[in-house]
Amino acid sequence: MKLLKIIMNFFVSLRTTLWLSSGLLLLLFLGSFIMPLREEFQALHTTPLFAWMADNGLGVTWWLYGSIIVLTLLVLNTLACSIESLIKKRSSRTWLLTISPQVIHIGFLFILLAHCLSSYDSFQGMTQASRGTALELPNGVVAVIEDIRADADPAGYIKDWSVAVRYYRQGKALPVETLQPNSPSFIDGFGLYIKTVRFEPFPVALIQLSRDSGAPWALLGGILFLAGMTTLLLLKIRREADQD
Amino acid sequence: MILLIYLAVISYSIGFYRSAFVYAGLLFQIGYMAHRGMTLGRLPIIGPHDTLFFMSLSTMLFAGAISFRQKDRRGILLPQVGLTLLFIGLSLLYKPHNAPLPPVLRTFWFESHVALSFFAYALFGIAAVLGLMFLIKKDQQAELLQYKAILVGYCFFSTAMVFGGIWAFYAWGTYWLWTPKELWTVILWLFYSLYLHARLRPWWLGRPSAYLSIAGFLIVMFTYLGVSLFMKSSHSF
Repeated sequence: MKLLKIIMNFFVSLRTTLWLSSGLLLLLFLGSFIMPLREEFQALHTTPLFAWMADNGLGVTWWLYGSIIVLTLLVLNTLACSIESLIKKRSSRTWLLTISPQVIHIGFLFILLAHCLSSYDSFQGMTQASRGTALELPNGVVAVIEDIRADADPAGYIKDWSVAVRYYRQGKALPVETLQPNSPSFIDGFGLYIKTVRFEPFPVALIQLSRDSGAPWALLGGILFLAGMTTLLLLKIRREADQD
Repeated sequence: MILLIYLAVISYSIGFYRSAFVYAGLLFQIGYMAHRGMTLGRLPIIGPHDTLFFMSLSTMLFAGAISFRQKDRRGILLPQVGLTLLFIGLSLLYKPHNAPLPPVLRTFWFESHVALSFFAYALFGIAAVLGLMFLIKKDQQAELLQYKAILVGYCFFSTAMVFGGIWAFYAWGTYWLWTPKELWTVILWLFYSLYLHARLRPWWLGRPSAYLSIAGFLIVMFTYLGVSLFMKSSHSF
């Protein structure tokens, strides 16, 4: 019972938050200097983090393992502090002021969940494709490149480019979709992106296929975080105006 | 049009003696930014020249707003003029980037991501100067203003990170890339999260808080300039 109380006190403590955040800062700081020096990190752009960590030695990944451990403790700390705060202030009249920091915390936790999912199950592949190239997606859908276009300005500088793609699901053609920079096409959770095009000696597009299972959670987390943050800020401004 | 920058510098310098000139300097800066924006047909926030200049303008705009309702308006505004002049000076070391934007950068998410980041950087810079003022003059008001500047800056920075993630997802297929720039952005965000949490404990009020705000701005400058200059990263200016 005493041990449980010690553990609870550890997690329901702002001091713990500060120590854990400082520890995480230190690990990321050290990692940021290791990352540009080691070739192994190049593969991290195309491999899910957890798979990449399993493939690489502790000499390169120790700071990532450390960060995951600290983040896990920080998640428990965040949950414990949020629950304690809600219980303590449940009868508060300024419930919006009580709830908004917790909404920020929930947003933060969703963003961490998103990173967890992306680190476990993201996918990215790149290929060159010309007109008529058929790309088979992991779910069996086939994407056929129908056209590659570019807009050039009078000086010959290519201002924009696009690729027309038609998907075939079990042999049945779906309507044509247009890929442009910042405007990918999505099908069954996969995203098809156009990275760049080349027109000499013949039109070729660099196509990227990716899936990021954490993305919807990251968006949800981001929205909650910003909603909580904005509410908190507005309430603080209003309270100050009332005091004046 | 570079003349407008020099006129801004002259006005800010005279502003140390007659503070009305500070506002004239601000107008010259706005004039230069507006002219560049109209010439390029986009927000001029690409490359070190434009971003440093945008940061200097943001610093002055927020410093003007922060000092507006203060009793010692001049005392709060003038040290920020020094910071603004520093950024203008640094921006003059770089050539303006006049090439058209690559298609991947022509999106609301990118422009708002950059603009909000620099609003945040400017507010963190203002907070560091206020922290320094607190350490020198022991002015409690400066310490409180420093906290408010960081709180608003943190909101801008968090929004910039979310918008950056949305842009990255549409441009590159993922909201997160493992590059030193991204890592330092998280370090910066985490540092100011730490500041805001630390300030909830009485021990951290006053001097420790002021030191944190100064350290935070050093991290800002490294995240912004240091990573691009000293570390290999696909995500730079």
